[in-house]
Amino acid sequence: MILRSAQPATAPFVALLLVLSLASAPGCGGGEETTAADGPGRNAPARSTGVSVDLPDGIAHPDRPVTSVEAVEDETEALADSLIEFAEVLRKRQFDQAEDWFSPDLVAHALVGHAEANRTSLPLDVERIKYDVAASAGVDRDGFIESLRSLLGDWRSVDSVLWKVKGASFQRGRSRWGRLDLKIHITGVDATGGMVSVHGRGDARATRTRGKFLLDQFILNKWEVERRAAPLFTEVAASTGLAHTWARFGTDANNSFHWNGAAAGDVDGDGDWDLFVPSDDQNFLYIAQPDGTWSDEADERGVGSPDRGTGAVFFDCDNDGDQDLMVGLTGWPLAGGKMGGERCRIFLNDGAGQFTDAPGGPGLQEPFVAYTLTVLDFDGDGWLDVHICGYGRVDVEHNNSWTEATNGSPNGLLRNLGTNEEGAFLGFENVAEAAGIKDVRWSYAAASADVDLDGDADLYVANDYGSNRLWINQGDGTFVDGSDAQGVVDKGSGMGASFGDLTGDGSLDLYVSNMSSTAGSRILSRLEEDIDKETHALLKKLAAGNSIFTRDGDGFARSPGGQGGIGASWAWSPALFDVDLDGDLDVFCTNGFVTGELAFDT
Amino acid sequence: MVASSCSSTTESGKFSREEVGNDGFLARHNGQIFAEGRSFSGNERDKLFINDGAGSFLDLSDLSGADSSNDGRAVIAFDADDDGDVDLFVHETQRERHALYRNDLGTAPGFVKVKLRATTGNAEAIGAQVEVVAGERKVSQVLSRGAGFISCQAPELIFGLGGATAASVTVRWPGGAVESFGDLKPGARALLVEGAGVAAPYGAVPRVIEEPKPRGLLVNVGDKVPPFEVLDASGAPVLIDPAATGERVALNLWASYCAPCVAELPLLEEWDAAEDLRVIAVSVDAPTDRSRALELIGARAPSLSVHLAGERKPGTRTIEDVVDLARLPLPTTLMLAPDGTVEEIIRGPVEPR
Repeated sequence: MILRSAQPATAPFVALLLVLSLASAPGCGGGEETTAADGPGRNAPARSTGVSVDLPDGIAHPDRPVTSVEAVEDETEALADSLIEFAEVLRKRQFDQAEDWFSPDLVAHALVGHAEANRTSLPLDVERIKYDVAASAGVDRDGFIESLRSLLGDWRSVDSVLWKVKGASFQRGRSRWGRLDLKIHITGVDATGGMVSVHGRGDARATRTRGKFLLDQFILNKWEVERRAAPLFTEVAASTGLAHTWARFGTDANNSFHWNGAAAGDVDGDGDWDLFVPSDDQNFLYIAQPDGTWSDEADERGVGSPDRGTGAVFFDCDNDGDQDLMVGLTGWPLAGGKMGGERCRIFLNDGAGQFTDAPGGPGLQEPFVAYTLTVLDFDGDGWLDVHICGYGRVDVEHNNSWTEATNGSPNGLLRNLGTNEEGAFLGFENVAEAAGIKDVRWSYAAASADVDLDGDADLYVANDYGSNRLWINQGDGTFVDGSDAQGVVDKGSGMGASFGDLTGDGSLDLYVSNMSSTAGSRILSRLEEDIDKETHALLKKLAAGNSIFTRDGDGFARSPGGQGGIGASWAWSPALFDVDLDGDLDVFCTNGFVTGELAFDT
Repeated sequence: MVASSCSSTTESGKFSREEVGNDGFLARHNGQIFAEGRSFSGNERDKLFINDGAGSFLDLSDLSGADSSNDGRAVIAFDADDDGDVDLFVHETQRERHALYRNDLGTAPGFVKVKLRATTGNAEAIGAQVEVVAGERKVSQVLSRGAGFISCQAPELIFGLGGATAASVTVRWPGGAVESFGDLKPGARALLVEGAGVAAPYGAVPRVIEEPKPRGLLVNVGDKVPPFEVLDASGAPVLIDPAATGERVALNLWASYCAPCVAELPLLEEWDAAEDLRVIAVSVDAPTDRSRALELIGARAPSLSVHLAGERKPGTRTIEDVVDLARLPLPTTLMLAPDGTVEEIIRGPVEPR
């Protein structure tokens, strides 16, 4: 990997923008594209204060554009970083500082005062108002900043402000200017106490002035506001005893890339849901109390350690009628048959919610870099088995490909050995190899269902840095790869998967979460002409978001993006459930990698 | 910055070892940027997509109240309080790591909840598929334990009825046998035992979740506001003890950028002039905006004392022991009894007395 910049911050970006690993980007290794002097051809309007000004008909495209993808992306990143700072100023509503991002000669659409084009009532009493921005006159810089004040000044709180560069092209020359496709997204609580979300999109021109890009033209082509009188959910961790505040990510106390999961089950048999939450330096076993709270009894009940668990599952492994607990941990083989890290654990429940760390048989002596654990009875013998997703050791290894990495930790299939004549649990043996699913992709997540309705449990595995796999159970203890045949390969960075009927036809559909990025999509649009169609289609997929596969005959069909439901960015766990009890399944999906304290994103 | 655009690749998109390195640069460099406090795909909040029943989804994440920026990983969708709708537990990566989102939509459309027990194959019926037909709507769910990403759902399936008055329930058991359990009524909680053919009701275990403190407040109605330190116009610390005034107090939180706050300053000044009420208005402006706050007080409510939120100091109570500045909606006014107890919380502008 050749890093052009000495800044270490670029390295993870490299790691993530898989996009570029495939592309033989033009202009690479070349020098600066041109030094010919050229101005932006500005027609500065007469300055005025707070009065309407004429807007240009559109924003000109550079007639001599910078062609090096890398140079364009460098400029774009500089702009995006600058707009992140601006967004932070807006979030804090420091309107007096806003003029630092705009040219004194700015001509722009104001962000308020547009005529309403239409008002739509959406489900759950949400109202969406679209504005007719094309009919609006322009304003100068003072007028634009005043419009920011008008838009946000009476909100009770501004919770999130994003200005994203969705696309950019730049004019060559010393006096650099660029034409931008900008997206604005602001959320908060409005003056009436209702939830509000603003979506804007527009074209802008930015000119580099004394080393910094200033916007001098900004023409909206979309302005929409969504409101609801109240949020759908109320966060109640503090009043239920579940609150656990921890250091921000990146501090010494919180810097592990071993993501911690969660499991729900009734561990003490009293009919309510207890929670096991593995964590960085302690585990939590939240026992539901009759008064509506939960109390952490992890240590008292024998599941306080080891910490740093990933996936965890409650299930009855020894068929004695209570909920046992398996915890995924990360371990790896060392020379001489030794093992580093931690092996996965099985904790046996005594029936009253007291747990014992059991040996677990030969299968649990093996190391796995375990993430999602999935319970299934793959051999139909009535003893529950567990599939273990083996990822890779991010602290010491690197994926050997962005599109089909094959150096992950092997997946495991732990076959349940049942109990002996005295009723003692015999544990598990790893039969992944014999079953044909000892995959070495970087597996993060799996979900199980009887996909082909032949009476046995099939398995879908989402792989990071590679294609996903649908393992079809043959009914004889083995699986065959049905991913291609059923149309669910879903190349990309698979992060999570869940089955559920999203179309209301009674058959199970498949929701897959992926990693995507604004920067990835942006770069792709520039590579269009330079790479072959197949590669481009793949890369486009990699930057597209999540995937919905709907059941279609004997296979699955990808749901078209226009139907929504897939627009996440760095997505993790999808949960399919009926949030509004209207008879169809909705989707919640955790999202986002790391939100730091500083405005800068990488 | 896309340094990677010039990365060379070998055949089939694979990197050679010297290009990749085997020293874990990803983790090390990630660690470094995060130590510095930078974001990486940050502020990408959790998503909620609402199914319109016709195959399309509406993104209501922004209005959900469940879109934390603490970077969620695992999620459990379950009925935490057994009231019939689906709540969410999210395991976040940082800060407030355990979030429980109580569903406030209510159960008016109706629901049925089912648990399963198989008599052939695995007794927990993991992998069973349950189909519910309610009115015009049909929907299936699978009983899973371990799906999504590192998430294990509770073994209870909840079906919304969309206003229908009955739900016809069919189970496809592990092994493939299909069994109908007939119609369930709205609100039914039913244990479905393989081969039984009829549902066995199970009792609700309702759990009343205490109302949380209002957003952005660390005190609630009935709590006493502790003494706290603010800064005066000169930047000198001043101790505010609402209970020491011996009078009713309106503790107003405002900022110079908040238009309704600025608009109500004259009214607060009027309140303060009344015999039976003292107004303590605290500006929560950032240090860079304090001068603007001073100007506004001087211009709009000159007789009000100036109180500025100071920085947090160890061993000293500040306004941040009363409110959470990052989440506090403005304006907020706490009406306090003479002993400092919160009697009323006014969200938004105050009304003339």
